[in-house]
Amino acid sequence: MTTVKIAGEGAALLPRRAPRPKSRQKGQGRWSALFLSPALIVIGVFTLIPMVMTFVISLHEWSMFTPITEMNWVGLENYETLFDDSNRIQAMGNTAIYVVLSIVITVPLGLLIAMLLYFPKLKGKGLVRVILFSTYVIPTIAIVIIWSNIYAPGYGPLSTMLQAIGVTPPGWLSDPSWALISLVIFNVWQMLGYYVILLVAGLTQIPEDLYEAAKIDGAGLVRQTWSITIPMLNKTLVFVLLMTFINSIQVFDPIYLLTQGGPAGSTNMVSYEIQRSAFSYGLAGESSALAVTLFMSIVVVGAVLGIVMKGRNK
Amino acid sequence: MKKTTLGTAAGLGLATLLAVTGCSAGGSNDEAGGDTTVTFLTHWGPDQVTMLEDAAAAFTKENPDVTVDVQAVPFGNLLSTLRTQGASADGPTITGIYDLWLPELVRDGLADAAPDDVATEVTDNWPSSLVDAASSEGTVYGVPNEVDLYQLNYNTALFAEAGIDGPPATWDELLDDAAKLTKSEGGTTTQQGIGFITGWGSGAVHPFLSLLASNGGTFLNEDGTASALGDDAALETAELYQKLVDDKLTDPSKSTANANTTGPYLDNFAGGKTAMIIMANWWESAIKDAMGDDYKNVATAPIPVGPNGTESSSISYSWMTTVNAKADDDKRDAAWKFLSWLNGPDSGEAGSSAMADILLSMGILPSRNSDIEVNAAALETPFLASYVSALETATPFPTVIGGQAAADALQKQIESLLNGQTDAAGAMKTASDEVDSALERAQK
Repeated sequence: MTTVKIAGEGAALLPRRAPRPKSRQKGQGRWSALFLSPALIVIGVFTLIPMVMTFVISLHEWSMFTPITEMNWVGLENYETLFDDSNRIQAMGNTAIYVVLSIVITVPLGLLIAMLLYFPKLKGKGLVRVILFSTYVIPTIAIVIIWSNIYAPGYGPLSTMLQAIGVTPPGWLSDPSWALISLVIFNVWQMLGYYVILLVAGLTQIPEDLYEAAKIDGAGLVRQTWSITIPMLNKTLVFVLLMTFINSIQVFDPIYLLTQGGPAGSTNMVSYEIQRSAFSYGLAGESSALAVTLFMSIVVVGAVLGIVMKGRNK
Repeated sequence: MKKTTLGTAAGLGLATLLAVTGCSAGGSNDEAGGDTTVTFLTHWGPDQVTMLEDAAAAFTKENPDVTVDVQAVPFGNLLSTLRTQGASADGPTITGIYDLWLPELVRDGLADAAPDDVATEVTDNWPSSLVDAASSEGTVYGVPNEVDLYQLNYNTALFAEAGIDGPPATWDELLDDAAKLTKSEGGTTTQQGIGFITGWGSGAVHPFLSLLASNGGTFLNEDGTASALGDDAALETAELYQKLVDDKLTDPSKSTANANTTGPYLDNFAGGKTAMIIMANWWESAIKDAMGDDYKNVATAPIPVGPNGTESSSISYSWMTTVNAKADDDKRDAAWKFLSWLNGPDSGEAGSSAMADILLSMGILPSRNSDIEVNAAALETPFLASYVSALETATPFPTVIGGQAAADALQKQIESLLNGQTDAAGAMKTASDEVDSALERAQK
């Protein structure tokens, strides 16, 4: 409120600019269009056209071995039969579990670490942030090589540590009951640093005087977190939630590199099923229908989050 | 006016973009040089690509009007490269393909029918099972090269330690030997009698189908339109797996494979934690590298015969080279001429084909009859001899449209069975239903 008033006063003190002549506005519009057109064309060519094409392909039967002009029209059949295949139902179930577990673990853990890194006056916080963020920067293929050894049964470091304390290690990637959880652990480890950095950036936007006022009023750490930090961090938290959802639902690299959707389909996800249907089975139409469905679910969740946020801000 | 401005600006932008990205029409290289250039897409590694390039250079020396340009992609990307580039006349002229992919390529008009002379050469010089795999409805579409089979690999040192004289020849002996070879400590299996691969389609499915074939069964019906996993032979094979799991003679945690088709299953066999495994001939170089001096303890034997089987039979699959039917006439003619030479007896060392020399450098069995004869000494190694003998009684993996999806459906149930998530009857019932569904969808 105070900021708005000052800005208003400041604005009132400034000399009023004369309106720009219409011809000058026109000229500026032309130049703006000219400079924006390469970017708009790139977005159109590489984003909008592929999206439209994916939808068009989803209405056809196509093996990808023939030219795209020779696809067979099937209408909505690929959508009608989408759930006839048990692999796809399993892939959707696995993806839902993976997304929920990733969100439930990553967001609270990210918030906790961000608060630990932001509030206490400790030396080496910057170094910890760099280390945390590095897991996000390193290419997945390099990380997968390390994690495939960490998860190695019997002789891997994780199994060896558990055996040393008398615990029988599970088959991290070989046991269908554990493989999906192992991938969630990998995802949390890889993405946590990125979300922590985002949350720390959000924490820096909360005015210090709010905490000071709360302390004077006798609010403890839990009360400050619950009544100041979380509400003030609302937008960042929703963004982190949405990014975790989008990144998790699109997971592909670790599946392709570590488990190939197995064992027994326990790590088969929608994105992997899309790739397998199109490139291994030559069912590009069905694969595109699955891709469109995945995209729509992301849009719906994004919209719901947007509506919730709007409602809360009112 | 506004629309005109935007349109002009967008047009300018597009022109700029096209100029920057260099999108312009142009002729192919061979037109500029006056020669015919054919491209050869393969998944081989750098050493074999160099050998192929040397062979191509030797061919060009004899045929100065033809240049062969070798392009290599990783195995995992070969099919996707073919799907994204194969439909074009400018796509790869020659491609090394897995025989399971051929029916789809033929259906979509991408595989060129071999000219009469090449077709006759293939029919006369290759085993009939491989000619069948390279053909569709009596027409030859490819020149077979690599053939792969599965045999029982076992660790002789562990056998000697367990007091076992030789490899098991029957399923009963397999169960007895596996029991003697299994060790456990505190409920954890430290050494498994037999290992079954999981997490990799062929590694899981082919050993199962080899045991099934050695029990008198088949994966699909005769015309490849439905599953044959509902038969007793398949149920007995699944029951063998279940017995090994229930008795803890196999440990699925020691059997996973990664995307490179290596990983724990290889490490555990190489490290003496797996006494027996059913694997293909091409992994010889991998276990040699992994085991070092201990490789001397590795021996191979035929697949044990089941109660309903009459003889040991391994699943076999092959690779072949096909020519792009969309390529122009000159390129297709040049491609077939090159393939005929590359796979013929005059291109390699001492009567061997250049193709056989490349394959043998990887420890892979060549398939042309004359190549097997000429390279008999090289194939008579303790490891490979059993695989060569198994060629005669091999059961080819059915090459039908939808075969890959059908195999994946079976893999899922094999892995469920190995992990104790289902029993033998349930696994075969579900596998049979899902295989039928996969075939129906692909063949409709």
